[in-house]
Amino acid sequence: MANVLEIAGLSKRFGSKQVLTGVTLSVPENCVFGFVGRNGAGKTTTMKSIIGLLKPDGGEISVCGEKVSYGGTKTNRFIGYLPDVPEFYGYMTAREYMSLCGKIAGMNSSDAESRTDELLELVGLSGEKHRIKGYSRGMKQRLGIAQALINRPKLLICDEPTSALDPVGRREILDILKDAGKQTSVFFSTHILTDVERICDRVALLEDGKAALSGDIDEIKKKRSDTAVEVLTEIPSHAALLAEQFPSGEVRDGCFVLPNASADDAEGLMQCILAKHISVIRFERKEPDLEDMFMEVISE
Amino acid sequence: MKFLRHFITFTGKELLELCRSGRLLLLVILFTAFGVMNPAIAKLTPWLLQTMSDSLEASGITVTEVTVTAMDSWVQFFKNMPMAMLVVLVMFGGIFTSEYSKGTLIPLLAKGLGRNAVAAAKTFTMLLVWSAGYLMSYGITFFYNDYYWDNSAVQNTAFAAFGLWLFGVLLICCITFFSSFASSAIQVLLGIGAVYIALTMLCMIGTVSEYLPSYLLQSGELLTGQAQPSDYSAAVCVTAVSSVVLLLASIPMTVKRRV
Repeated sequence: MANVLEIAGLSKRFGSKQVLTGVTLSVPENCVFGFVGRNGAGKTTTMKSIIGLLKPDGGEISVCGEKVSYGGTKTNRFIGYLPDVPEFYGYMTAREYMSLCGKIAGMNSSDAESRTDELLELVGLSGEKHRIKGYSRGMKQRLGIAQALINRPKLLICDEPTSALDPVGRREILDILKDAGKQTSVFFSTHILTDVERICDRVALLEDGKAALSGDIDEIKKKRSDTAVEVLTEIPSHAALLAEQFPSGEVRDGCFVLPNASADDAEGLMQCILAKHISVIRFERKEPDLEDMFMEVISE
Repeated sequence: MKFLRHFITFTGKELLELCRSGRLLLLVILFTAFGVMNPAIAKLTPWLLQTMSDSLEASGITVTEVTVTAMDSWVQFFKNMPMAMLVVLVMFGGIFTSEYSKGTLIPLLAKGLGRNAVAAAKTFTMLLVWSAGYLMSYGITFFYNDYYWDNSAVQNTAFAAFGLWLFGVLLICCITFFSSFASSAIQVLLGIGAVYIALTMLCMIGTVSEYLPSYLLQSGELLTGQAQPSDYSAAVCVTAVSSVVLLLASIPMTVKRRV
């Protein structure tokens, strides 16, 4: 699978603040890529560098095999970009704005028109006749996605598309992005981990100016998999009994926890519970979530 | 050609903005008013003096018969047009910087829109507005002057008007130039103010004044025949060349500026 986006050793300094120290990551074709990091970690800086709006101090970025140059916009023909706070010309209607974007992207007018219909339908703005100045934030965000997709980009870059939205709006945007991911690669930044877990195939965590953790979500989970088994017994003292039987386990908050439990370990534990007639309220094999992993990485 | 396509598209966007923001209407009213005002003031001068003659007489000034000619109206034209120029400059001072500060250009730049095309389209729009408006005021003044009096009594009106127009072109190129690094409309206008002050001060040095663009502001002297068009050729050349230089200098800075 060819990579749509490759970043190697990207670094950037603003004054005395070193924001990026060497970001290296790659986004393959047709994948939804989550770019996670705290506020001010350098997510927007990275994204602006990709579309040539910021001049990096070091490192290289290539989009579809072509090198990105600052100030130039050649590689942008492969890219659709949604800024963190998208601003459009308020005196235009959504349809007029889409037509402007189509012309700039060099589409012929009939293609641009049919694509506009399709995309405005996708983002739920097809019935909107008003000018953009009356749009809510969520509507602007949706128009932002539509305009970014108009020229069928190979890479859709969205800068925190869900941060400022209410739960309903967030869900809608995530669904749209997931849909878009079927035709193009989506590279989106966020600090909301549940968003990543819902729609992303791959993820990178930006920490200390580097991509601290990067790759396939399932693989990361497996690699880091602390698939603990947690047992909540009816009688609290039984938890201690289990801890005696399984020395690698411990009692945590009244529950017996067996860390790094394989399927065999879990079976053994279950047999022990049956043999000792321990009455159980909850027997759970805990899937690691991204949050735990990220907290772990950040604290390292 | 990509540049041309972007230029045409973006100019269309600028003109739409001009219409929808109501600026076009304002400019039409402004330039019509500036065109009508010149002959109107000239026409009304005798009547005004007549009505004020009593109070003037009380202060010792006697008003005799006043005759106005096309000259009075043209003199008004050259007094008023710098004011129209100022309005245009203030109106367009933020044409670049407002887009940079709001971020409205970002989605379009991300689509591959060339920054040179943006700068070219905006400069072209300003020049178009200034030229069309100027021509309108000139035409209205010319028509009324011909109707009421006789334009042939006045010399070199077209060339004199061209000089003033060209000075406006230079200041518009200054907007493009200063916008390639300034961050607000105020900074752009202060830059233009500084250029104007510098030119005025340089003018005090007698020998260089006729080479300076600001010399064109005195092109009204052509009307009476006190000066000849050839006296202005140096200033015209300097102004035209500086306009082009300003535009060329703004290209690399516009491309490299942070948006």
